[in-house]
Amino acid sequence: MKALTYAAGIVAGLALLPAARAADQVAPLGEYTPEQRGFWAFVKPVSPPVPEFSDAAGRAFVKNPIDAFVLARLRAAGLEPNGRADRATLCRRVYFDLVGLPPTPNEVAAFVADRASDAYEKLVERLLASPHHGERWGQHWLDVVRFAETDGFEYDTYRANAWRYRDYVVRAFNADKPYDRFLSEQIAGDELGPDNDEMLVAAGFNRLAPLRRNAGNQEVARSRNEVLTEMTNVVGAAFLGVTIGCARCHDHRFDPIKQTDYYRLQAYFSATLSKDVVRYTPEQRAAWQVKAGPITKEIKRTRAALDKASDDKKPELERILVDLEDQLPPPLPALFSVVEDLERRLPIRVLKRGEFDWPLGRVGMRPLGVLLPDRAPELSEDEKQPRSALARWMTDADNPLTARVMVNRVWMQHFGRGIVATPNDFGKNGARPSHPDLLDWLAREFVGRGFSLKAMHRLMLLSSTYQQASVPGAGPAQLAATSMDPDNILLWRANRRRLSAEELRDAILSVAGSLASKMGGPGVMVPIEKELVNALYKPSQWEVTSDRAEHARRSIYLIAKRNLRLPFMQVFDAPDMQVSCASRDQSTHAPQALELLNGDLANTQAELLAVRLRKQAGADPRRQVTLGYRLTTGRSPTVKELALAVEFLRAGSLREFALATFNLNAFVYVN
Amino acid sequence: MKHLPRADFRLTRNRREFLGDAFCGFGGLAFTHLMWQQELRAGTINPLAPKPPHLPAKAKSVIFLFMAGGPSHIETFDPKPVLNKLHGQKRPPSFGEAKYQFISPGARLMGTKRTFKKHGESGIEVSDLLPRTAECIDDIAVIRSCFGDMVVHSAAQYQLMTGRVVPGFASMGAWSVYGLGSESESLPAYVVLPDPKGALEGGQPMYGNGFLPAVYQPTMFRPGKKPVLNLQLPAAVPLAQRRRTVDLIRNLNLTGAAPDDGELNARINAYDLAFKMQTEAPAVLDVANEPEETRELYGIGKQPTDDYGRRCLLARRLVEKGVRFVCVVAGGGPGKLQWDAHEDIEENHLRMAGHTDQPVAGLLTDLKRRGLLDQTLVVWGGEFGRSPESQGSKGRDHHNLGFTMWMAGGGVKGGRVVGATDDIGLHATIDPHHFRDIHATILNQMGMDQNQLTYLHLGRKERLTEVEGDVIEELL
Repeated sequence: MKALTYAAGIVAGLALLPAARAADQVAPLGEYTPEQRGFWAFVKPVSPPVPEFSDAAGRAFVKNPIDAFVLARLRAAGLEPNGRADRATLCRRVYFDLVGLPPTPNEVAAFVADRASDAYEKLVERLLASPHHGERWGQHWLDVVRFAETDGFEYDTYRANAWRYRDYVVRAFNADKPYDRFLSEQIAGDELGPDNDEMLVAAGFNRLAPLRRNAGNQEVARSRNEVLTEMTNVVGAAFLGVTIGCARCHDHRFDPIKQTDYYRLQAYFSATLSKDVVRYTPEQRAAWQVKAGPITKEIKRTRAALDKASDDKKPELERILVDLEDQLPPPLPALFSVVEDLERRLPIRVLKRGEFDWPLGRVGMRPLGVLLPDRAPELSEDEKQPRSALARWMTDADNPLTARVMVNRVWMQHFGRGIVATPNDFGKNGARPSHPDLLDWLAREFVGRGFSLKAMHRLMLLSSTYQQASVPGAGPAQLAATSMDPDNILLWRANRRRLSAEELRDAILSVAGSLASKMGGPGVMVPIEKELVNALYKPSQWEVTSDRAEHARRSIYLIAKRNLRLPFMQVFDAPDMQVSCASRDQSTHAPQALELLNGDLANTQAELLAVRLRKQAGADPRRQVTLGYRLTTGRSPTVKELALAVEFLRAGSLREFALATFNLNAFVYVN
Repeated sequence: MKHLPRADFRLTRNRREFLGDAFCGFGGLAFTHLMWQQELRAGTINPLAPKPPHLPAKAKSVIFLFMAGGPSHIETFDPKPVLNKLHGQKRPPSFGEAKYQFISPGARLMGTKRTFKKHGESGIEVSDLLPRTAECIDDIAVIRSCFGDMVVHSAAQYQLMTGRVVPGFASMGAWSVYGLGSESESLPAYVVLPDPKGALEGGQPMYGNGFLPAVYQPTMFRPGKKPVLNLQLPAAVPLAQRRRTVDLIRNLNLTGAAPDDGELNARINAYDLAFKMQTEAPAVLDVANEPEETRELYGIGKQPTDDYGRRCLLARRLVEKGVRFVCVVAGGGPGKLQWDAHEDIEENHLRMAGHTDQPVAGLLTDLKRRGLLDQTLVVWGGEFGRSPESQGSKGRDHHNLGFTMWMAGGGVKGGRVVGATDDIGLHATIDPHHFRDIHATILNQMGMDQNQLTYLHLGRKERLTEVEGDVIEELL
């Protein structure tokens, strides 16, 4: 028999605990063993010597140091790289990897026909310069920072201005904003540029997490603790690649991160509060007031009534209040940001088991202890720009984690697996790097090239390693590789990948000729089944965007609503926007087939693709099939595919053939 | 009974050991675990293939009768004569503290208007709110000492479903399918039957697969013309024509897939399965073919039981076909239409009990006479109970520190009571059981060991029961 309930025990026993006394003391500064300090990820990378090759095959393969590191590793295992992918395949791969869209048949043809020695380089440059590049890479970053445009939880309230952060991310990737700046602006934009809109929007990063609000009795301390927890954890997940969140309740079980380290990191955020920075003219304000005035009056009246109401009337009044708030006109333009409010700063304490009402010793700001000398002091409490200080530490050229973590993310997107296969976890429980020298070389190169992401893309894409074919060759070397390294850890070929949910939807719209190219702006709500809307706690929250042209925009511009993910996205492994997603699953299951066979998107777009095929290829089924293949797969059909499809068209509709192309492995995968 | 070997996990372990030796420096333990996860994803192992349990399983399936909004323990399964005596008084300090969502300090205790009577051979007391369920009490094990950590709906619903008070984690149903796979080819393995009156505060994320791969996501059987998304052919496409299209897709895809290409072949097979679901599932979903007597048993065809009766009957049909986890939600939309009786406990609970009592009893009776109760674990409960104090004059607020859930079938010994709350139903005082214990017990009855059912996510081996959780042995 257990004596008391756990929760009741906390309440009843609080006064008896030594915690009350412990809370006045400064928590220990901590010591770390040489073994802990020597773990690879915590040791500053040094640029390793680049392997050299004197044989002809080796020299031919090595286009840049990436290839040298990869080839050295391959040869040590007795393996050789695969041949180069054919040009059409390579073209489609580079398009999806850099801009997330398929090339048009003409673009493929032009590249295949361009025999200039720098044809491929020019292609890469052109795509890096494309505004669509930021839309593809921005999405990955939005996954990592669990971006959404609603609060989540019960109310799932819209964050009317959160889209500005999404646009900031897209712009940052397009402009090749140096990563150290990108990081600093997100952590501390409001401190670094209090009058700069771009910086303020970037700092919205600190409030992207789901936010629990509740009616009735407020537990202010619990809610604040939830907010601080999210602000802290995402720094570890997104920038440092260490699972510091594990140290919230106890010292990290695997990594040298003490519970005190966790709360010392949290201390940087102790005065960070949400702020919507208004950006409207007096005229806009007046016009808004005309519409909103009567409703705000009613809201005030209801609030007053609520204060005086008996307990049984409160829930009803709370509901009325929420409904009234719903009726307000769309909020005036504002920047979704944070502010440093030192006057409202609350001291940070270590919390026993992470429980907000179980405070232990006091802590001040300090980076992770394992990366500092033993018993390193905390920062001064007077630090006026604490998050800038944190950003400076993270972007310091000597920080062993920041550059490695980011180059690894880029690598993962291009090669299908990170050099560290667990991109958010470089700790003991994560994977060890498959190519440690290469990772360190890339990290130093990244810092040396001013944290330029486009420079990293260039390096990776121009390597022979990247340009290999994904299908193993038939030679004995390839057979040996297939059996020795079936998972292709050593990169003896390229990895095939399935399109992400967004790429798949965008590609369908693109080949059907309906993709809208407009960039930026508030999230779009597309028409969805009534059954889905009714499954919302508040169905009125789904207001379909009235301009129909908006419905065919790229997926990154669709509203990111935590409590209603589009089934299409969900079924193809788009993340849930609640926690950081470092790499997406690639699951394969029947509901995906049902979505692409019976779903509205596939069927309406198949109709449009059929029209396009008829218009551009005429009435000849052979030409229709060939164009269909070139649009969806970037290549012409094989003789057998052509025969099968033409045979089908004798009795089948062109619309059904168009639908079939959306279901082809050759469409859904990138080779 | 002998413990069965867990083939796939054994495989992982052996593989891990093997790789540890053969590929030293390749990433070690976590990495090979990851590789195994990737194999699953890649479809070289069908992620939904039935998997042997860790332990001898009692239950093949679970039906969770989710009483959304938080039914009162005081009005249903937990008689509190002392509370009735203290009616109108302030809570004596000896009972300790509680935090409520709405009630202000100083509220008065409120006795119940329900009367309790002993039922069945076990003589367990059940209130007159649930006369039909009371008739089944000898098959039911009542857990009077449940508790959770949160007193607001969304967070409490997340904890009830996923073990965490925040969204983003995997639900019981998703974990079950991850651990055991599916016994049904033509039906989804994890089904939620929401209340047509509307959604709940926790929304979509509470039922979700969280960080588990999308293959473990729930299938919502939504009210309306299209209960299952994408199961119907688009208008104007005849089935025979679509069959040809699916064949074309298959043939075209086969031309490019090497016979040993696990992933592409898994994808080709997914189309066969999809077509099978499309043609076979609608028949299972249609309860019209059930005999009149069965339909009456569930209260179908009359009010107020028709809707919940239909969904309970559907739940039986689904588990009969091998569906692993079915959640049948009672309550939806605004709180009034859930068990969320802030304003008037009598009005609300009489209505909610009226919707559900006969269907629930019908389900237990029907499962039992078909011999399905032995292999189906039925769980009843909400995200919390309700306060001993009154909210206003007639309502009760949320209350998470002591409330009732029950289990039946699936190896659970019926006709017994586990744990107790104090004399006013405030705190679970004897054998308190957190949601984690409920989760551990559900997993245990399905043959899964909570410590072995893990998934590596963001550097942590996640489990449904987080860091602790005890199987409630008194139930077994």
